[in-house]
Amino acid sequence: MQLSTIPPRSYVISKSPSAAKQMTSSTLDRLLFLHGGGVMEVCGSSSVTLREFGCEQSLLSRPDGSASFIQGDTSVLAGVYGPAEVKVSKEIYDRATLEVLIQPKVGLPSVRERSQEQCVRETCEASLLLSLHPRSSLTLILQVLHDDGSLLSCFLNAACMALMDAGLPMSCLFCGVTCAIDTDGQIITDPTAAQEKESRALMTFAIDSTERRVLMSSTKGSFSVHELQQCIAVSQKASEKIFQFYRDSVRRRYSKTL
Amino acid sequence: MAGLELLSDQGYRLDGRKATELRKVQARMGVFAQADGSAYLEQGNTKALAVVYGPHEMRGSRSRTLHDRAIINCQYSMATFSTAERKRRPHGDRKSTEMSLHLKQTFEAAVMTQLYPRSQIDIYVKILQSDGGNYSVCVNAATLAVIDAGIPMRDYVCACTVGFVDETPLADLCYAEESGGVSSLALALLPRGGQIALLQMDARLHQDHLETLIEAAMTACKGVSKVLDEVVRQHLQEVSVLTGE
Amino acid sequence: MKDTPLSNCERDFLLKAIEEKKRLDGRQTYDYRKIKITFGTDYGCCFVDLGKTRVMAQVSCELVAPKENRPNEGIMFFNIELSPMASPAFEQGRQSELSVKLNRQLERCLRNSKCIDTESLCVVSGEKVWQIRVDVHMLNHDGNLMDAASIAAITALCHFRRPDVGIQGDEVTVYSPEERDPIPLSIYHMPISVSFSFFQQGTYLLVDPCEREERVMDGLLMIAMNKHREICSIQSSGGIMLLKDQVMRCSKIASVKVSEITELISKALDNDKKARKAGGRCGFAESIPQERITALKMDETPVEMMDVTDRANDIVQKAEAPPQTVPSPVVPAPGVGQVGQGLQNTWGLEEQEESDNSGEEQEEIKTQMKEKKDENRGGDVVEISDSEEEEVVILHPEAPDKLPKNTGSGSHQKGAATTKKRQKK
Repeated sequence: MQLSTIPPRSYVISKSPSAAKQMTSSTLDRLLFLHGGGVMEVCGSSSVTLREFGCEQSLLSRPDGSASFIQGDTSVLAGVYGPAEVKVSKEIYDRATLEVLIQPKVGLPSVRERSQEQCVRETCEASLLLSLHPRSSLTLILQVLHDDGSLLSCFLNAACMALMDAGLPMSCLFCGVTCAIDTDGQIITDPTAAQEKESRALMTFAIDSTERRVLMSSTKGSFSVHELQQCIAVSQKASEKIFQFYRDSVRRRYSKTL
Repeated sequence: MAGLELLSDQGYRLDGRKATELRKVQARMGVFAQADGSAYLEQGNTKALAVVYGPHEMRGSRSRTLHDRAIINCQYSMATFSTAERKRRPHGDRKSTEMSLHLKQTFEAAVMTQLYPRSQIDIYVKILQSDGGNYSVCVNAATLAVIDAGIPMRDYVCACTVGFVDETPLADLCYAEESGGVSSLALALLPRGGQIALLQMDARLHQDHLETLIEAAMTACKGVSKVLDEVVRQHLQEVSVLTGE
Repeated sequence: MKDTPLSNCERDFLLKAIEEKKRLDGRQTYDYRKIKITFGTDYGCCFVDLGKTRVMAQVSCELVAPKENRPNEGIMFFNIELSPMASPAFEQGRQSELSVKLNRQLERCLRNSKCIDTESLCVVSGEKVWQIRVDVHMLNHDGNLMDAASIAAITALCHFRRPDVGIQGDEVTVYSPEERDPIPLSIYHMPISVSFSFFQQGTYLLVDPCEREERVMDGLLMIAMNKHREICSIQSSGGIMLLKDQVMRCSKIASVKVSEITELISKALDNDKKARKAGGRCGFAESIPQERITALKMDETPVEMMDVTDRANDIVQKAEAPPQTVPSPVVPAPGVGQVGQGLQNTWGLEEQEESDNSGEEQEEIKTQMKEKKDENRGGDVVEISDSEEEEVVILHPEAPDKLPKNTGSGSHQKGAATTKKRQKK
């Protein structure tokens, strides 16, 4: 490179470094991939869509339970170890210690991952029957494979599938649904990264399978109470689809043993 | 990088050595009174100090105890003043952790650890001045220290770095040669059996040249072993004179 | 968490099998397990399956200032992450011996062998260069992590495209992929590591050891080579004593294996290129085997939204308004501040939240909470997930005096805000 001829002066980078970082993903391909009926009027009667989703269980040999969950292009791999021996410092005398670790794709886990870990951990703690395994440890590791929006809900779904695969007793299943409210006040479920960026508010709910209650919610941006309620109602509706998918995949999985 | 001529047409190297010539090795054993074994070794301008404690009871985490042999604990560090630029951290970075690992591995192969079950042998090596071939100098110094401590070994462990320039293997590289883009190979040898305790190579080299290079390294190691043997014999003579035998 | 120890029986059995030239998975001594290479949606994302061992590599780039002693060379950074997912023995954030060993070997294999033209990564000499970062994540550890990692890393580097940059005067412009096609890295050769494990003091030799075999082996020899039969790095480890002939033999086997693997990689890269050109979707989602019964896929599905608005309205209407009046604070003495006494607690108790979550509500609480229940369900849980520590705040009114048409939790907070103001007065 013959660059020494250029006078060294202060150089302006037209894009921020973070923009350069994101270059890893060929986001443009994704941008074109907006769903036809993805956006709708809230008050209308048309439908909001979930991207296509897929899942594979017990795909890793080492963990006691593992699953990958895919929502559109967003994909997450989850592995569960446990119940197993626990470190004395982390031991809880009447229930199992649950540890959730989230591994980002690039770099080391940061504050963002820690907060997501907490969201997932609290949801899992609410649904797992931890008191059945006192003084033991459960470790749930989530690895981001590709982030294209609705990452937290994908974490939750992958986590639930992995916990199911590990055969851990749970009081109910749970799923995650992300809703975005765009600038026009329209609700988008399961948004892509591009839709997330343009949205005014972003909410993720964990919903249980028995009574469709909200186990966890994580929100960002501003929205009215009314919108919040609408999003919850939408998420509860969407959760039914996901639980049906859970049911189908588990049925398929055990179709040969039954 | 092509600026330096590593091997002249007359067959001399940067510091005037021939291709197969080693640097001058000077060593002393038993330099410290407190440690169980110690040695100081100079190989050209590279200077190293090695200290051995043990075999002793396991310290620290007892869970690492092995019921059938001793564990060897190595720590490699470089003095902050050992290089041209002052080093910030004497040890703990990836490279020195790796070096500690390699030393440990070398001595696990050479020391008869099965004689001391459930115990621990500590080997600490410090580079006082670095001028290439750090790994090999450390191994040579540590060998003398282990002998000084009276711990049985299968054989001397001798190490040497060799490089490959113009189809010619160069023995015992100095820093200028190492950084000059030569493909270098570090080898730790137990000379009597011709067994290789550690083999490490960086940079590109065609497969066909591998044999010549290993051959050259083994010859160089045997040369080092002669020097070490002499040092040990001389030291023993001095000691036996002192004890009046 | 500790790894499950290997029993003496298993150890003896494995060694016996190796002596008889048999391997647990039915392979021959010099056989590799099946290698599968798939690519992610991004450029520079690669998954490698080596039997059951699975790793993922992701390459990313960033503009940084160059190192002082190398002003016109780009920077390569390698990081092998031993994720606890791969094995229970791996701990997060700890530099274990294995991690140092693997990281250094990968660095030696890819950086020291100068397989990437770092000078082409220079944007402005002494000012801006590209830093290429390679993250390798171990997903499943079934032995021979090094070979899998080296294959994944070099394939990801080959697959990677960095954004184009333009220099006009003093300004450096990074073009987005829409504006200009991203550029691949210039790679001179592809070093691939091949591992050999030795048993019984080097008497027996196996290629590509699996996890069980790694546990009983005496030592390991890793040779990195490229298809031109150039050795890029050799590293022995684990306290074995090798003979020269053994090393020579290994290097010959390695050269054969490397040419096979290189071919496989170029084939995989070609296939991916074609798939991307054809405009088909590619990525992890596509790599899920459809025929397995453990996998299931569902197409894009609409969500019914019929009565959502009505329900939301209902809930909002039913919700009770917060009290407008606040019991006056009891001040024990002028100038004494007091916290948490004299006033009734209006903050949600943790027990309530927990019982709510676990879905095992006790009857007593139920009756108490009946009035508030609708509201609770309505999402009174305000979570601030951006902050480091999660705060869960549950607000609900203590005195149920109804105020018409005052809505939801937003006004709860308003109520709280007014409370403070009044207290100040």
